[in-house]
Amino acid sequence: MEAVELKEKLKQQIIDYLNLIDVEPADLQDDSPLFGPDGDLGLDSIDSVELLVLLEREYDLKITDPKEGRKVLTDVNSMVQYIIDNNKA
Amino acid sequence: MTKVLVTGMGIISAIGNNVAENRSSLQKGQTGIGRGELLDSRYVEVFPFGEVSTSTAALMESAGLAGEKGMTRTDILATVAMQEALEMADLTAAQISSSETAFISASTVGGMSMTNELYRDGNKIGEPSDYLSSYICGAHTLKLAKRYNMSGVSTTFNTACSSSANSIMFGAKLIKSGRAKRAIVGGSDGLAKFTVNGFNALRILSPKPCTPFDRDRSGLTLGEGAAFLILESEELVGDKPVYGEVTGYGNSNDAFHPSSISDDAIGIVASISQALKTANLDPSQIDYINAHGTGTENNDISEVVGIQKVFGGLPPFQSTKPYTGHTLAAAGSVEAVFCLLAMQHRELYPSLNFTNPIEGHNAIPIPQYQSDCDIKHVLSNSFGFGGNCSSLILSKV
Amino acid sequence: MYIIDLSCISAQETYTGAIFEEGVKLHTERQYWAVEPKYKGMVPLNLLRRMSKSVRMGVGTGIPLIDRYKDIEGIIIGSANGSIKKSISFLNQIVEYNEGTLTPTDFVQSTSNSIAGTLALMGKITGYNNTHVNNGIAFESAILDALLLFEEGEYNRLLLGGVEEISQANYNVDVLRGMFKEEEVDSTQLLHADSPGTVSGEGAALFVVDAEKSDASIAKIVDVAQICHADKEAIIEKAKQFLARNHKQVDDIDALFLGLNGDNRTDYYYNHLQETLFPHQGVYVYKNLVADYYTVSSFAVWMAANLFQGKTMPPETIWKEVPDTINTVLIYNHYEGTQHGFILMERP
Repeated sequence: MEAVELKEKLKQQIIDYLNLIDVEPADLQDDSPLFGPDGDLGLDSIDSVELLVLLEREYDLKITDPKEGRKVLTDVNSMVQYIIDNNKA
Repeated sequence: MTKVLVTGMGIISAIGNNVAENRSSLQKGQTGIGRGELLDSRYVEVFPFGEVSTSTAALMESAGLAGEKGMTRTDILATVAMQEALEMADLTAAQISSSETAFISASTVGGMSMTNELYRDGNKIGEPSDYLSSYICGAHTLKLAKRYNMSGVSTTFNTACSSSANSIMFGAKLIKSGRAKRAIVGGSDGLAKFTVNGFNALRILSPKPCTPFDRDRSGLTLGEGAAFLILESEELVGDKPVYGEVTGYGNSNDAFHPSSISDDAIGIVASISQALKTANLDPSQIDYINAHGTGTENNDISEVVGIQKVFGGLPPFQSTKPYTGHTLAAAGSVEAVFCLLAMQHRELYPSLNFTNPIEGHNAIPIPQYQSDCDIKHVLSNSFGFGGNCSSLILSKV
Repeated sequence: MYIIDLSCISAQETYTGAIFEEGVKLHTERQYWAVEPKYKGMVPLNLLRRMSKSVRMGVGTGIPLIDRYKDIEGIIIGSANGSIKKSISFLNQIVEYNEGTLTPTDFVQSTSNSIAGTLALMGKITGYNNTHVNNGIAFESAILDALLLFEEGEYNRLLLGGVEEISQANYNVDVLRGMFKEEEVDSTQLLHADSPGTVSGEGAALFVVDAEKSDASIAKIVDVAQICHADKEAIIEKAKQFLARNHKQVDDIDALFLGLNGDNRTDYYYNHLQETLFPHQGVYVYKNLVADYYTVSSFAVWMAANLFQGKTMPPETIWKEVPDTINTVLIYNHYEGTQHGFILMERP
């Protein structure tokens, strides 16, 4: 799958898994931090676990090291890159 | 106002099927955490558990209930603990069923430990199981009330891990208000695939037995158990042996996050302070703290911060969860039993699984067994999801 | 204690109060679904996205009250099942993914105390917080808890409520238990249907209660009592003791609120109490409006409080002719004929 297509698909999955209300894929910036004080989705640690579950269920990517998890979940771009790097696109 | 005295205790946990066995394990520093042999979950390969080593069938047999249908693990653990407590307090059938005897229990999982049965019944697959009336949290309370013909005030709490601390508090309040003269108080939770998977989903289960207050702690260890106290108002007690008095209690909400405590430990400070206030005690009068101490990164540091804020320093303290695992709804009452044993026998138990204190805090739990200790007042903490913080103070009589 | 404000989500237009103008909605199914308000704007979307229905309903009724009364000090909720749908959803995941990697949100939200916990979190209320889950008397237990807390003297104002949601799985289990009607019966026929079973409801009724009477007092909750596994004569005795303990004679009661639910196996408790002890009193009913659920007595309290406020009760609620002046009411409800609760209320 092309990166652009993957990005769209992933954004919708993020919205579905986190049950984000009134948010469309177009609203999610590629490089906007998902977590932390600069993130504007207001996500917390439970959401980070949900996103790791997303990666495992949808892309067969299991991340067990919390440090690696934090890096991968930096923003949409980093998630997409991780999927591509692991040949799961 | 009448004193609320403890005239009986009953307990079943990973370190023993009764009070004497539990005490013996505590004295010897012998943990009950190990590989789950009875639990039906693939996670027995991954995590240790504080499992009661006797099967449900065997427990039912020894309780005289062999063959009874619809009994869940939570139900039988509660029944066993209740039987012991009632016997120790030497209550007659008439006293138990009196309208002046309250029954206050607690559970978080109820009968949801029957995961497969609930899945089938809930999705209308196959024949209905025997557990239809056993799933709900309050099921064991209702069953025991029926078994013992109880006619007094009854309720069941579910405030997650602080539930049975609230049971004890409520029972004490009922007696002080005159609405009951006697209260059977406690809680029960059986190990369940449901809770195992829930805590695992939150990634707070430790792959090794929990190490509360340790710098390198890595999460909690789940356990199961049940414990009940018999509380009686002073005028009823007569010459009966008394194991302690419920002198203080506090209940507050941290109001910070659904599943973690604030860094300022607001809820913890409030519940401890309130317990001291109702007991009319100064922090310096507390001789021992049985901490909630789950071994999660969040709880333990918050609890240390909270205790230090109230006490200035740290009185002798420990978590007994390395012995039993985290018994969830039963934790408050299980740990109250341990506090009463310590007071009654003038001893402090060794803390397990502790190596290095948390960075920046000189918080070292009681290292080894000590006898001949003068323990007059103890504080027991229980904190649950949803920000529920409860603290109890028990005193020597 | 004194109710000074209240809010209710139910299968009727109770949230807006339109029930008193527009009348009652007819229900024809065996599940009376709650009429929910629009939560957007009331609840931050970030929290709303995770909420179970019972938490939403608790928040929908509770948060406006918390906003209006800044000095609410504690929260006590009765909810037998809590967020049962989330529990079942998590359980389904366990089975369907064979305990594989699971999403935690359903689990966190599933604990029964998530209603009281979320209200505390959103309202930043750090005081006393408890959740009673004792099946059909969970709300009565919550009332008792509040009365005890006020008696201790440390609290002046609390939020008290009863909440319950229907989940399909739970409904299925209760169907298997024989709780519900097998035949189709609408809400006009429900209480007259001479057959076993009732219908399933859900809702939330929350109250701001004060220790002291004031000009703002709408209704007084005088006392509460409960008994389990009692026969119909024991219920008569219990009712008598309850009145005597509150220095009331039978004739002091102007009307009853009875939890008749159309189940011919257990409605006799209500009829027996009414005929034996209160033959002259008026009777209101309510389960034909909102069906039956563990904490439905909270709806009865909501109705009684509205009555004292001068609202005209819908004609469908009048089971036996009621007097013009009603100052004292007795609410009697049981769940499956097993758990029985009494609530005494009067005009402040």
